Amino acid sequence: MNEEAQITEGTPETGTQEESVPKKEEQEEKAEKRPAVRVRIRRGGAAGDPEERFDAFQVETGPRMTVLDALVAVQSAQEPTLSFRYSCRVGMCGTCALKVNGRPAWACRTRLEGLGDEITLEPLTNFPVLSDLAVDMSPFFEKMKRARGWLEPTGAAEKAPALIAPNSRERKRIEPHIECITCGICYASCSIVGHDSDYLGPAALNRAYTLVNDSRDALGPERLLEVCTEDGAWRCHSQYNCTESCPKGISPTGAIKGLKRRAVSGGVRRFAASIFRGRAPGA
Amino acid sequence: MRTMKTDILILGSGGAGLLAALAAHTQNPSLDVTVAVKGLFGKSGCTRMVQGGYNVALAESDSVENHFLDTLMGGAWINDQELAWTLVSRAPGCVERLETVCGCFFDRNEDGTIHQKAFAGQSFDRTVHKGDLTGIEITNRVSEQLARRGVDVLEETRAVALLPARREPERVAGALLLDIQSGEFIAVNAKCTLLATGGGPTLYKISACAQELATDGMAIAWEAGASFCDMEMVQFHPTGILTGDGLQITGTLLEEGLRGAGGHLKNAAGERYMERYDPERMERATRDVVSRAGYTEIIEGRGTERGGVFIDVSHLGKSFVRKNFKGMVERCADLGYDLIGGPVEVTPTAHYMMGGVKIDTACRTNLMGLYAAGEDAGGTHGANRLGGNGVANATVFGEIAGEAMAEEAADAPLLPYDAEALAVAEEKTLDALGEGESPYPIREELKEAMWNKVGLIRNGAEVQSGVRLLHDLKRRAADVRVAGGRAYNLAWQHALDVRNQVSVAELIAYSALERDESRGSHYRDDCPHTGDEDLYNVYIKKEGDAAVIERKPVAFSRLHPKAEPAAQAEPEPNFID
Repeated sequence: MNEEAQITEGTPETGTQEESVPKKEEQEEKAEKRPAVRVRIRRGGAAGDPEERFDAFQVETGPRMTVLDALVAVQSAQEPTLSFRYSCRVGMCGTCALKVNGRPAWACRTRLEGLGDEITLEPLTNFPVLSDLAVDMSPFFEKMKRARGWLEPTGAAEKAPALIAPNSRERKRIEPHIECITCGICYASCSIVGHDSDYLGPAALNRAYTLVNDSRDALGPERLLEVCTEDGAWRCHSQYNCTESCPKGISPTGAIKGLKRRAVSGGVRRFAASIFRGRAPGA
Repeated sequence: MRTMKTDILILGSGGAGLLAALAAHTQNPSLDVTVAVKGLFGKSGCTRMVQGGYNVALAESDSVENHFLDTLMGGAWINDQELAWTLVSRAPGCVERLETVCGCFFDRNEDGTIHQKAFAGQSFDRTVHKGDLTGIEITNRVSEQLARRGVDVLEETRAVALLPARREPERVAGALLLDIQSGEFIAVNAKCTLLATGGGPTLYKISACAQELATDGMAIAWEAGASFCDMEMVQFHPTGILTGDGLQITGTLLEEGLRGAGGHLKNAAGERYMERYDPERMERATRDVVSRAGYTEIIEGRGTERGGVFIDVSHLGKSFVRKNFKGMVERCADLGYDLIGGPVEVTPTAHYMMGGVKIDTACRTNLMGLYAAGEDAGGTHGANRLGGNGVANATVFGEIAGEAMAEEAADAPLLPYDAEALAVAEEKTLDALGEGESPYPIREELKEAMWNKVGLIRNGAEVQSGVRLLHDLKRRAADVRVAGGRAYNLAWQHALDVRNQVSVAELIAYSALERDESRGSHYRDDCPHTGDEDLYNVYIKKEGDAAVIERKPVAFSRLHPKAEPAAQAEPEPNFID
């Protein structure tokens, strides 16, 4: 996958530390055997900020310790001014995402075991940095709004909860895509977002896919047209970076392909209908 | 300092805050509604973390009366019955609107109707859910609807004080907010202000809540002179994950549905210890009973080496567990535990505060212009909250508060706030920057003190000694100082947090001393009996610098415990002989 390409797109390493990102350790070490790790943390504001640098900290580890535990340990005992963000601690809120050794991940559910003796933490790529590891997520949510990522219920859906069987095609299509927690990891891993800041990105398109399959939604074809544009679904090159990095196991790439299929079959239907009506294609 | 004016200021964006904003906007779209949230919008707080689901009487063979009775029995009959009735009677409409207005997509039965599952302490399987991650569905869908409607949001912005109206100390005219990102103050002048910050007993050593919660709403309401009820009632959930000391994930929950579905709790010797405590209901007893049972096993030496017990669902079958508890299976797997294959180590964990700001059925407090909903408000759940009544409570009362505020704000004038009060609050917030004691040792000592002295099993003398510790901690917290500037300074935020936590911890301890009986979540081994005469609520309010505490009889406005045959049956057995 195109992992390396987008890493260099993000915050350049202009820090005082020389070390390169360490390789993932081969063997599964027992945590008890590795009492301390070196944690390098990217500090400062946006790229080019005079304060931009890497600071390194020694952190004692124990079994089942996570990146979040390491951050809390650093902040409360060594560097109180370190900025990072977290809330739920268990992969539900989607606010602690960052880059761990170059790969986007949740701090809370990423265990230190297996990450090596030196761990590099950076803010998510493709988001403006606010301070240290905390990023501004508003561009990501603006895209959600642009994709109209909300149900606009039909008259019938507004009256009573719709009857939708669990094994219906609709539910089966929606189910694998609906538990997105909008953590931004897919957006950070997407190389297209890095090149085209107007691209809607994987999460917004994933939400759109659940909505175009939702019989309760009144927007239907209109929604499909809105997201299947140059900066929408058609911009995706199916590199699967988002799918590979999603901690929830969601496949935004699959959702985007689904949108494209729908757009094409809708187009074919319209084309056929126009022929039957004796009009020129595209009329 | 920035200043702004708004009709309705909502503090918090969990279930209560989100639904309040939606309801207020729906009722009167011309009103300015501003939501300020300590974390990110729709992602902060505990509704997001709801796993199991939402109690509501939807089935034909169920009824709101049954839900009401379960809620009162779970609450050991000291619930505010009007609030409890409001909860159960409005929940069906509210859950329906979550589907029809907001687009939630709850799990379905084969016939396409909404599925309801079993939870503990209930006479009917009435818990609506989306898999085992229901809160994500609810907060995501409602947040989207607010984005659609363009409601104003201030993210990473906390309230540091409520602002009294000029010459009218019994009225709230807005709040002083602190923008965490920039460190700048925002003075908000509002007609109506809603506390929906979600309580959150993070002041205990092991807790289940989102970690930014620091009883902020209750602390600022206390300073402003709000009246509180039943603060001694703190719920401990029986199955918090236990991974090790100091690890962030310790205390987060394995959901109640695991017990509802037939999961077993075992001690280190493999005994199903609930046989000793509640042989009839076993693991499906209410949370207070099950948590104390686990705690007793642990302190009497029958727990694990690390100080836990086990939950075991392996006998329920691989595919059943994988299908129904996907989120829990994944969470355990990330920690290296196999929930499907065998026992997982758990501990009781501080989960929810049943007590809070006293409200009426329109979410009004004793201070004009101030409303409270969700966990910041007290009374609905009595002495113990049923699993699945928490998100119901947040959303139902959030909606009600939104409607009530929209009604008040439509006609009310915007009254100026007291500039002197604002200056004092500003100074108190800024004085935590500088050189002095770090907040972290104070926070650790507070959590230890509350866990050991005012925790699952209490004792008058121990609580007294806890109060002395709290007095000392409060003095130290007032002098806490942190280095660094104002912008995105987490240590500064933690310093403000610990002050709030100590202040609310005192209310819990005072109220725990006042209630010299055992009831629901409040258990005192020096007075283990549950009185069945003269039931009362404990009220606490600030007058000058003193905390004034008083008991008031429970108003059995709808149902009397003695009039109800189901309740006449043996009261809950005394927990420990």
